[in-house]
Amino acid sequence: MKTSKRVSWILLAMAIVTITIAPRLSAQTATAKSSSGKGASGAVQWSVQVDKVNPGDVDIEPAFRIAIYENLLDELGKTKRFQQVFRDSDRTASAAPNLLILKTTVQKYAAGSETQRAVTTVSGATKLTVSSQLCTRGGQVVLERTVDGNVRFLGSNLRATHNLARNVAKTIKQSALPEPSLSVPAQGAQ
Amino acid sequence: MNRRIVPFEYTPHDHRRMPHRVWAYLILLIGCAVGALAQKASEPTNVTAPFSASATHLLGFKGAANNAGGTLSIQGAALQFQKSGKPAVEVSIASVQDVFLGEQSKQVGGTPMTLGKAATPFGGGRVVSLFAHKKYDTLALEYVDANGGVHGAIFQLNKGQGEILRSELVAKGARVSQSEDAATKQSTAEVPSENK
Repeated sequence: MKTSKRVSWILLAMAIVTITIAPRLSAQTATAKSSSGKGASGAVQWSVQVDKVNPGDVDIEPAFRIAIYENLLDELGKTKRFQQVFRDSDRTASAAPNLLILKTTVQKYAAGSETQRAVTTVSGATKLTVSSQLCTRGGQVVLERTVDGNVRFLGSNLRATHNLARNVAKTIKQSALPEPSLSVPAQGAQ
Repeated sequence: MNRRIVPFEYTPHDHRRMPHRVWAYLILLIGCAVGALAQKASEPTNVTAPFSASATHLLGFKGAANNAGGTLSIQGAALQFQKSGKPAVEVSIASVQDVFLGEQSKQVGGTPMTLGKAATPFGGGRVVSLFAHKKYDTLALEYVDANGGVHGAIFQLNKGQGEILRSELVAKGARVSQSEDAATKQSTAEVPSENK
């Protein structure tokens, strides 16, 4: 009886130790994988440098340009698609081996009004359309998409920039990028 | 005894001479005026006191949470934002590459007000929305970090505060692009059409 009790205690202790340690170990492995610059599939990951937003011919408020830029940095970091996300003019980006450059040009901008939206519901939307290009250091275009970001009902005008950045990040996440080590084929605009 | 009674201070050859009492009043008045002038002259030193105003950090300032209310101030050669009860975050004014001033109209009251307006029957919430908005100044900054990376930050200030802060930043060495003035005018001109 005493022996069986002891065995059951030992088994219970082993189970507790396994339950406690196993998730930590797996988390550490995942961190090590992501820090080694490889994705879940083990492929080498790109890094990305986000350029300042080019207003193009559109008369867009500077606060919107800055908000798009900052939101893009946030949202691209959340996708986990890139090993590192660099800011414009960041000197450390030059050391990154596989670097893509995200260029954003504003195509359309309609300044809405939060009050108008709250009163009428159907009008006063803030609309943004940008052209996003992912290029290599050599200027070769890897991906080019036109993306929208609007705020139609609730929220401030600057929320359009958040929605836009989220859509750009989502588009990039869903697109197939070429392997960094392979030759990079140019893709046409969508 | 046909004698005239004359006051003690009276002198027959100096009719226009003022009594001592008037002189005393004049001296007192001049003294007060000089004091007032001195006080006015010392007022500009109060004006040059460091800028400090309550502001909402909308996004971008490194280390500060988005949409956080706090105090935006100039401390020496740095622009500092401090949320109450949290450590202050700051950037050097010399690292500011551009300052943009804008204006926006926002609904007041936040989420509780929005829910209240939605719950108001017969479209009463829309009528409330018509009046429940306030104009704010927005100050957008572009600054660089130690690695040269460009950062952008946007603050929302009470109306009129943005221009003061911008002037202070420029006076302390922040750079402003030449096209900024035109952009500010354009932004201000857009507001009336927005608030129709």
